[in-house]
Amino acid sequence: MKNHLYFKVLLSLLALTMVAAMIVKFGFEFKVTTAIILALFMLKFLGVTFYFMELKRAHVFWKSVVIIFVMLFSIIILVGI
Amino acid sequence: MESKQITTKNIYYPPGGILLWIIIFLELFTFGMALVAMVIYSKDEPEVFHSSRLLLNTTFGIINTIFLLTSGFFMAKSVKSFKEDKYKKSSLYLKLTMLGGLFFLGLKSIEYYEKIEAGLSIGYNTFFSFYWMLTLFHVIHVVVGLVILSSVYFSMQKKGKSLELEDVEASAAFWHMCDLIWLLLFPIIYLIF
Repeated sequence: MKNHLYFKVLLSLLALTMVAAMIVKFGFEFKVTTAIILALFMLKFLGVTFYFMELKRAHVFWKSVVIIFVMLFSIIILVGI
Repeated sequence: MESKQITTKNIYYPPGGILLWIIIFLELFTFGMALVAMVIYSKDEPEVFHSSRLLLNTTFGIINTIFLLTSGFFMAKSVKSFKEDKYKKSSLYLKLTMLGGLFFLGLKSIEYYEKIEAGLSIGYNTFFSFYWMLTLFHVIHVVVGLVILSSVYFSMQKKGKSLELEDVEASAAFWHMCDLIWLLLFPIIYLIF
């Protein structure tokens, strides 16, 4: 993976973290805020696993398991909250 | 430049090795289930969870996220440099990775100190029971991760070329797992309630 791509991923992850923190202050409806925060969490999670952990290069099984886990977790939290 | 490669398209060898990925999933499920339990408990005491969440320092949570993500970035760079046989560079990035982990622990200590001073201990209420148990369990992972990275760092200093890529990748995967666990904890504990 090219060096500048790692840096771009890091900047994106940091930006997503800041956006998630700011969303709370916007005063949207509780469920909407939760959904946005969880969507941003999913992007960050997949960013770390696919790029930093290089899962992008792994067998499709591992990619699928990670995507299924992160989606299930987010849905369960959203439904449960 | 020729670089070391492991065939990670093989189902039995994801980056870091299959055993470590089994551990990663077990850890993620454990923390995930605990967070789901936290959300279920919050239904009984929504006001308590909301007021308790407001007692947390979100800025500390954001800064700690930045420390861990940046640390993960340096870890990825360290593995890449190792694959290209650039051992000095790899060693430098590994040091920066560990520095990120130490900053995380430092800030977490300040946060814990503030909570204890304010009387917000593990038995204060349900929210803080979850807060202490989950974050302390994560801190233990970070400490173990730092011990593993220190061991890899010293091996790199002594042996250089004889250090196996599998070992570096496995330690990196463990370190990234600490990132992933924190990414699970941060939005639920610091932002949602």
